[in-house]
Amino acid sequence: MSMIEFHDVEKYYGKFHALKNINLTIDRGEVVTIIGPSGSGKSTLLRTINGLERITSGQLIVNDFDLADKNTDMNRIRKNVGMVFQHFNLYANKTVLDNITLGPTMVLKRPKAEVEDSARELLKMVGLEDQAAKYPSALSGGQKQRVAIARSLAMNPRAILFDEPTSALDPEMIGDVLDVMQTIAKQGMTMVVVTHEMGFARRVGDRIVFMADGQILEDESDVAGFFDHPKEPRAQEFISKILNH
Amino acid sequence: MAKRRLRPLLLLVAFLALALAGCGKSVADRDALAHAKATNKLVWGVKADTRLFGLMNIKTDQIEGFDIDMAKAITKQILGPKGKADLVQVTSDTRVPMLKGGNVDAVIATMTITPDRQKVLNFSQPYFNAGQALLVKKGSPIKSVKDLVKGTKVIGVQGSNSVDNVKKAAPQTQVLQLSDYAQAFTALKSGQGDALTTDNGILYGMSEQDHDYVVVGGTFTKEPYGIAMNKGQDNLTKAMNTAVDQLRANGTYAKLINKWFKGIPGFSLKEVE
Amino acid sequence: MFTILAEHGSALLSGLGYTLAASLMALLGSLVIGTAFALFEISHRKWLRIIGRIYVEVVRNIPLLVIALGFYVIVPRYVMPMDGFTAGTIGLTIYTSAFIAETVRAGIESVAVGQMEGARSVGLTYTQAMVQIIFPQAIKIVVPPLGNQFINLVKNSSVLAFVAGFDLMYEGKIVANATFSTFDTYLAVGLLYLVLTMPLSYLMRYLEKHWVSA
Repeated sequence: MSMIEFHDVEKYYGKFHALKNINLTIDRGEVVTIIGPSGSGKSTLLRTINGLERITSGQLIVNDFDLADKNTDMNRIRKNVGMVFQHFNLYANKTVLDNITLGPTMVLKRPKAEVEDSARELLKMVGLEDQAAKYPSALSGGQKQRVAIARSLAMNPRAILFDEPTSALDPEMIGDVLDVMQTIAKQGMTMVVVTHEMGFARRVGDRIVFMADGQILEDESDVAGFFDHPKEPRAQEFISKILNH
Repeated sequence: MAKRRLRPLLLLVAFLALALAGCGKSVADRDALAHAKATNKLVWGVKADTRLFGLMNIKTDQIEGFDIDMAKAITKQILGPKGKADLVQVTSDTRVPMLKGGNVDAVIATMTITPDRQKVLNFSQPYFNAGQALLVKKGSPIKSVKDLVKGTKVIGVQGSNSVDNVKKAAPQTQVLQLSDYAQAFTALKSGQGDALTTDNGILYGMSEQDHDYVVVGGTFTKEPYGIAMNKGQDNLTKAMNTAVDQLRANGTYAKLINKWFKGIPGFSLKEVE
Repeated sequence: MFTILAEHGSALLSGLGYTLAASLMALLGSLVIGTAFALFEISHRKWLRIIGRIYVEVVRNIPLLVIALGFYVIVPRYVMPMDGFTAGTIGLTIYTSAFIAETVRAGIESVAVGQMEGARSVGLTYTQAMVQIIFPQAIKIVVPPLGNQFINLVKNSSVLAFVAGFDLMYEGKIVANATFSTFDTYLAVGLLYLVLTMPLSYLMRYLEKHWVSA
């Protein structure tokens, strides 16, 4: 059963052709990593899935809703599809706990006490139960990103999109965040992850998508095979650069 | 804490007060006539917003009017044919402070001689006997100052004694004070008031400009215009009086009156002379 | 100066009352109108952005006096009767609102784009995101410049004097002309303006200290 379907999707920014003929189907419970050089359209692709970017043409179906249809309520998509950003985007004016509870109380209209209980559970899961009353500015980057993941999980989404979740972190913080992501993946969450963490892609990913110049060049279920023998020359070049670094 | 924060403020106020008290004495108090003779120049404060008396001609960039011609003629009488009349624009607001500050030697700017003003200024003999009247839109129910009853609004100009006069003559009316005649006339046209009051000479100028507005009811005060000088400038005052006498005697005065006021309805040389 | 206050105090105090009334109304009005046009300026709809832009650029580049006189002399002739106090207060409100729109817009725009995306990504509507996330952060940025606008507004209310609005400056001019002691009168007028602006100034400082830094 598919969660996300791209059919012949094109995306232009003015004259710039950002996404070219995208065809991609992601099933429920699948963990897909998207890699590729910067400017290849990975983040744009990800942002179209929860409507932060609109597609120019083609068909994009997320959780059975057609995103190309103007009548589709984007907020209903976003309720069900969480997003974790490179720069966390935690609400600077709210405490860690309020960051997590805002969505469930305002959007899902769940009772505050119940939401707070589950928020504390989520904080425990990401190892930050003692940080609930702090403001985001008092946290380290790794802590912020774990809060952002908890915020996303609090909405009980059908899928979570990760946009380079570890790129803005100091190296020693990356491990904690990836561990949390792995835990979520094991629980069966549908995940689309744009990342440069090849180890994570290899260990956790069910599938790997390689993008360059707005196109999907490889879409491979044999993740280990992709890393050992990439078919496309662009992919070979990219892998060798990353691994030799 | 609060006290310490206020201290610089108090110092500043004290400094400003001292600075302002210290200046302005010497220039205004020297003998203006002697100084004018030495520099061959009289500095006149004149209006530039008053039709017929002193109005800026936008095309030539010159101020023109009866007051202006009088100032020039008087200067020639006092200083001789080569004497120069410097014209400085004043408003009803600024003419007294500028005299007091010595910025101008004399003001000839439709300025009525009043006892209050005579306390702080020297005046020449009257050179124009004006009187206060009302300007209204044609067909207005207001025919004279008696019609300015409760609920009516009359427009005057700030700093002119016409405001006090109309308050005395019509105590029930509300007086709106605007900053100059142009604004006052515009406000009348916009219906901000039922009548505009000031000296008839000025009102005739407005009526001449826009025939929809007429002067009604005749004058209800006597408003002799005089040339104002700073208090204590007695030499200059005497010279002014002599000059005005000479201009009346040699026909220049009548010539200037005719130049500016001839042909305006209801205007007679006898009334103002 | 003290004789001025003793003899003409009631006229000046009445002027102070009109100035206070005009300032308070213009302050509230300009805050509401200014914020509305700030929202127009950052709207997704192009025509709203254009309206906002034109309003701000036109209004803030015309002298306040011209705007006030426009309401005093043009509106009564063609639209509806309007006295000097009303015309001056409306002019002041509109003039100030253009500056407030710019201040509020800059405040909102200085809140990082990611804050809005973070809020939208959990399904909050645009309005909810604005109210919950953007405004609370923008206000802290906007309070100090807004304080300046409000102090300017109180001083700018002296425009009422030019349209016979019975305010402090109007009464001050009349007293100055009646007494010929121009300097003393305006010193008294200046002090009375301080009575209005100093508390405002301290209030803004208090807000900055105890609220903005929180």
